[in-house]
Amino acid sequence: MIQRREFLVATAGGMTAALAGCTADDEGENAEILDETLTLTTTTSTYDTGLLDEVNAAFEDRYGVAVEAVAQGTGAALETGRSGDSDVVMVHARSLEDEFIRDGYGVNRRDLMFNDFIVVGPEDDPAEIDGMDDVTEAFQAIAETESTFISRGDESGTHTKELAIWDEAGIEPSGEWYREAGSGMGEVLNQANQTPGYTLADRGTFISQQSELDISIRVEGPIERGPDLLANPYGIVAVNPGVHENANYDLAMSYIGFITSREGQEIIEEYTVEGEQLFFPEAVSENPNFQQYVPEDWTPDEE
Amino acid sequence: MIELVSSLVPIADSFTPFIVDFPFERNYVESIIYVSLYVSLTAVLISTLVSLPIAMLVGFSEFPGKGFVVALINTGMGFPSVVVGLVVLFTVSNEGPLGTFDLMFTTEAMIMSQFVLATPVITGVSLAAVSSIEDGVRDAAYAMGGTRLDVALVIIKEARYGIMTGILAGLGRAISEVGSVLIVGGNIASSDGTSVTRTLTTAIQLEARQGRFETALILGAILVTLVLLVNGIVLRLGGGRV
Amino acid sequence: MIQQQRGEREWGANDGLALKNVSHGFDGTDVLDEITLTVEQGETVAIIGPSGTGKTTLLRLLALFYRPDTGTLEMDRTDVWTLSERERLNVRRRIGMVFQEANLFDTTVRRNVSYGQHIRRSWTNRLNHWLSRIGNEDTSQEVAEALDVVGLADAETQPATSLSGGEAQRVAFARALAYEPDFLLLDEPTSDLDPRNTAVIEDAIETARARGLGVAIATHDMNQAERVADRVAVMLEGRLIEFGPAERVFTNPDDPRARKFIDGELVY
Repeated sequence: MIQRREFLVATAGGMTAALAGCTADDEGENAEILDETLTLTTTTSTYDTGLLDEVNAAFEDRYGVAVEAVAQGTGAALETGRSGDSDVVMVHARSLEDEFIRDGYGVNRRDLMFNDFIVVGPEDDPAEIDGMDDVTEAFQAIAETESTFISRGDESGTHTKELAIWDEAGIEPSGEWYREAGSGMGEVLNQANQTPGYTLADRGTFISQQSELDISIRVEGPIERGPDLLANPYGIVAVNPGVHENANYDLAMSYIGFITSREGQEIIEEYTVEGEQLFFPEAVSENPNFQQYVPEDWTPDEE
Repeated sequence: MIELVSSLVPIADSFTPFIVDFPFERNYVESIIYVSLYVSLTAVLISTLVSLPIAMLVGFSEFPGKGFVVALINTGMGFPSVVVGLVVLFTVSNEGPLGTFDLMFTTEAMIMSQFVLATPVITGVSLAAVSSIEDGVRDAAYAMGGTRLDVALVIIKEARYGIMTGILAGLGRAISEVGSVLIVGGNIASSDGTSVTRTLTTAIQLEARQGRFETALILGAILVTLVLLVNGIVLRLGGGRV
Repeated sequence: MIQQQRGEREWGANDGLALKNVSHGFDGTDVLDEITLTVEQGETVAIIGPSGTGKTTLLRLLALFYRPDTGTLEMDRTDVWTLSERERLNVRRRIGMVFQEANLFDTTVRRNVSYGQHIRRSWTNRLNHWLSRIGNEDTSQEVAEALDVVGLADAETQPATSLSGGEAQRVAFARALAYEPDFLLLDEPTSDLDPRNTAVIEDAIETARARGLGVAIATHDMNQAERVADRVAVMLEGRLIEFGPAERVFTNPDDPRARKFIDGELVY
């Protein structure tokens, strides 16, 4: 969003110069830096848990730059990045991130943190999946008993993951028991709570909303020794300044640098809601995983 | 006046626990109210300046396709706000025609979309109002030596209650819509809780999404109170005859 | 007193508001055919004739509502429609008009009557006047006088909507008088009024005439025409069939149809 302000500053500066007879105006320059903002599009899960407020406040303290975070869901967040309306994207759907990078819209991807998905459902547990180790079996049981399942249905990271699990379970979910909400995680949890029904949720959003809900965890994710299939890794990608020249690349990289630094990762580590840690940092490592910088299946042989 | 104040004191007292229990920071709510009012009032002001000349032109001239224009205005009154949001999104997006101004996720973009929403309402209601003014009033103003502008001002004055109703309806539509401001504004609040592009409606939506229905209800009450307040002020200024 | 002077003046030699060979129509229908008629300052011209005969169109042509299809409208021997828009506005501002309906603005009586003066001010003066009025009572000599002529001097602060039909029409008359025009055009001003209010308006017409205004009044009331007019124009089917001093027209019209109309035999 900085370009607009630069434009205004430039216009105002130009007028001042024209009126005052070309004296250099240092104040204009300063105002420009102080006014800078970085636009981050992200998923509802990082936003609604409150994590971003912590991280962004620290970043603003350090860099004097306001972060404007727009919570959209992974699909929309990447789409906004594609059209050049955001500077940096923080999402959790590796396949979509890879597509974003392959298409040339994103550069300098980093693994950021992870938490996990969980299957939540009502106390009476009509599909009898409580405590299952295998999430595909649990999904099969839900489909067989035709127990109500509420899908995000919004192209979000969680939705992408849910579809991957159905795929793994060999089921094409359809019927009255399968409802696509087309809403954010918080709304879907509310719906699952009201209906009641099962849904796939990220642990972070579930914990932050737990006190308002009657439904509870039926299948754990890998953080509580559940199946790896329920892992939920978050990545962060800068918008490619080569494609969108207005992209605020240097600030985007400052933000990525900050959030993947020891300090940024500590904030993530220490962030708790109701005493529970929501996200687990994974950016700082003695042996970085090279695959985080490129699409997962990319090889140097590719053109 | 004094009686009024003293009679309000017990009411204020009974509200105190409610205020103490306020579930968010003062700054958060105040900045949201500010953004809501700033965006909607600006949009409605611009809409009014555009709507009145259009209403006058359409109301007092005959041209082929006039019926179509009137139908267009009336259709616009019920235009879905999300569609307007999408259109403005494509316009202000980096790749849209206004992309160079970088208006995405700004209050300016929100003002644009609310302008698009409010203008047909204000134009439509004002058009009906000025059309209902008798020809004789126009003739009288002209016969006394009024210029075209003088006559137009007389008509606006005569139709003031109807026009006021139109402006209020436009404001009501602008301040209470959620679809377009969410799309083009992005519901942004800075990390210290100051609203950047978050309005009462998008805040309510966010709170409901997170299951904090009580907070959403309180924000909803503020919104309703605000609309009532603005209506009350305008009615009072307008002589209370709408 | 004034009555006695009627008919003693040489007409036609003076300046005034004049239609010369004017024909006019709307949407292909002819309404007026070759009208020539002058209203001079200081006289009252009554235009009589059956309804639908073009009296209103004639008055509206005199008030510059329309440009005549053929022929000219002259103010003091100048062709009005060849003037610039600015000059034409100045011509219009020497004319006042009262319609069959009062057509008052929805505001106070005073604002209605002062409207003519208001719009004659420049925008800067309007603003200054508006500012100076804050907290002050707006008083204007002309407004008070004009209201006095129609006997409503104490109605200044009343809202126009509170007036009776007759009072409203009297305010409409005062409104046209207050900016001191040179000509006054009256289109059936009393046809909806009771005799008392009609008398007030007729007195006011007399006052205006005495002040040197040229008055043209369209009326279907033969007695009214006789009471107020110096000259009478008789119209029939868009033509002027008789135009001359009131006394002569009423006693000895040239045109037999005018005779019939005046005698009440020609009924439409």
